Amino acid sequence: MAGHVLFDGVWKRFRRGLSHDSLRDMIPALARRLRPGAKAQHQELREDDFWALRDVNFEVKPGQALGIIGGNGAGKSTTLKLLTKVLVPTRGIAAIRGRAGALIEVSAGFHPDLTGRENVFLQGAIMGMPMSLIRAKFDDIVEFSGIPAFIDTPVKRYSSGMNARLGFSIAAHLEPEVLIIDEVLSVGDADFQSRAFGRIKSLVGAGIPVVIVSHQLDRVVELCTDAILLRQGQVAFHGRPHEAVQAYLQGTSGSNDADVADAAAVGLGIRILQLDGPVPQPVASGSQFTCRVLAEVTGSEPPPHVELGINIVDAATNQHLSRISFRSLGAHPVRAGKFAVDFRMQANMPAGLYRIDTCVWHDQREVLIQGPNRIFQVMPAAEFYGTHQLNAVATTVP
Amino acid sequence: MIRTILRDLWTSRELFLQLTQRDLKLRYRQAIMGFAWALFLPVLTITAGLILRKAIVGAGGGEPPSLGGIAIKSWAWAFFAGAMNFATISLLTNASLVTKIYFPREVLPLASIVAQGVDSLIGLATLLLVGNWMGFHWSIQLLWVPVLLITLLLMTTGLAFLFACANLFFRDVKYILQVLLTFGIFYTPVLLEPASFGKYGKYMMLNPLSPILEGLRLTLVERASLLDTIYIKGFLVWSPWMLAYSVGVGIFATLIGMVAFRRSAAYFAEYY
Repeated sequence: MAGHVLFDGVWKRFRRGLSHDSLRDMIPALARRLRPGAKAQHQELREDDFWALRDVNFEVKPGQALGIIGGNGAGKSTTLKLLTKVLVPTRGIAAIRGRAGALIEVSAGFHPDLTGRENVFLQGAIMGMPMSLIRAKFDDIVEFSGIPAFIDTPVKRYSSGMNARLGFSIAAHLEPEVLIIDEVLSVGDADFQSRAFGRIKSLVGAGIPVVIVSHQLDRVVELCTDAILLRQGQVAFHGRPHEAVQAYLQGTSGSNDADVADAAAVGLGIRILQLDGPVPQPVASGSQFTCRVLAEVTGSEPPPHVELGINIVDAATNQHLSRISFRSLGAHPVRAGKFAVDFRMQANMPAGLYRIDTCVWHDQREVLIQGPNRIFQVMPAAEFYGTHQLNAVATTVP
Repeated sequence: MIRTILRDLWTSRELFLQLTQRDLKLRYRQAIMGFAWALFLPVLTITAGLILRKAIVGAGGGEPPSLGGIAIKSWAWAFFAGAMNFATISLLTNASLVTKIYFPREVLPLASIVAQGVDSLIGLATLLLVGNWMGFHWSIQLLWVPVLLITLLLMTTGLAFLFACANLFFRDVKYILQVLLTFGIFYTPVLLEPASFGKYGKYMMLNPLSPILEGLRLTLVERASLLDTIYIKGFLVWSPWMLAYSVGVGIFATLIGMVAFRRSAAYFAEYY
């Protein structure tokens, strides 16, 4: 049976404050509720309740991998908990067809006093693995975790990394029909991380429906076929992963107030209309790519102290990487009206997600206006290693 | 709903076994007494019985309760109290699981009960070894024992489900349980027999646990058939209806417990 994930009009209500925590508090509360007229009031969203999710819809079919992104408190974890049936929706349907494997809380069932071996069986059973499957996969699990020497040691003596590695290894051998992944891409050391990522990639590649929640946006773009952006419990965007990432980053960097920028532009005499970037195709690291900026000189002639350009920013860290002024490259408007600037660059940076911000500067220093921006993805390339491209040339001297 | 719950439990039987194993392992690992712990309780109850008999004879209170009766009834009471204690806190001690991973939550209190049951069976084996000395009699009436034990198990399961989910929503439930278990021994014929209370003895049998405990003593020590109505000194101490009452309460408690537990299980993860 092919797996399938359906989220149909899901609403989830939470209580903000404490509910009655002891019987003593409950009796007066019950008495209040029994008073006439109190019932109607009880049906509505009370003052201390809030909606963690509001009318969330999505569907994941075999071959699809859905990424869920959003800020803290946007409803990502609630969505996952509804999917894994830990929570029940207040309204709507959250359903998974097929055996779901969750790479979530992969060591939640570990008991510190039990050995690694005992915990593999316990955690496996908690995750719904049949005993026969755990027995058959036991050696693979231990091998993958890389800690066979400590498998008969109580896990309370494990380092946190060992704990997480063993947990991930169990979950990675689930053989699910639907895969749910939450932020486990950062387990263990660099070596284990790359192995874990490879394992996830092969699971995703197996064609089962996958749901991934992650803050590692580049991983979402790399793994997913679709993505939704959650904002305050609602779906703010549903579409291709890099567009969702773009929408998310625009929302967080706060550069969306284009009205303010435009108003300022009138006084400046220049404004940026459009950026056509390298998306949607990813750029190979070290290779050339082109963009086009569409702008307009609004006054009678181009202002002399104002110039146009772009900033390249690392989308994950917001670190400023490079500033490119079009005037210094010899591209500056000479008359009033619309004009376009084509520019070509080499992606001398490691794989990841980057953002191109269009800007208008005054006297080469102050950013006056931020125009439209674009997210683009840089893919790893065989010829380029490390974080900086030095364009080295080597000659053998006899 | 009951059918769904039973089907869920059947599909998670391996998880149930793993959790029971875990509970047992944890009880005996890094514990000073290890498995001796399971023998500790029988020794304690037999000693208590000897003291009680001495005291009653010393006070001129007439016929003292039989040692075998005290031993088997204390054993059953200890199982009930232990299982209730562990099952009631089982949802809280496994909070990290309940809030993160889905599985039929019923397995948690059930695993606590069964782990306590395994413990108790070891204790029972010890009691049976010295059974002849304590006045156990091996008769056809022992066929009643499984019926009585299943009734005890049903009642424990039903109450454990109710208390376990109540304790999640109201954290003071476990203290209420402590008080009930501590003082319940005065309302249940654990150490004394209903006959000692004369005409009030039959009211003690209103406690649905009483017929189970008395039934164990009557079959194991007195070789009595539970189908007989028994009078001592003209006072009613046993009627088959008492057993029927216990069985009824046991089945009712289990059904109510299962339904209430399942109904509230959907909200468990929100109440930690």
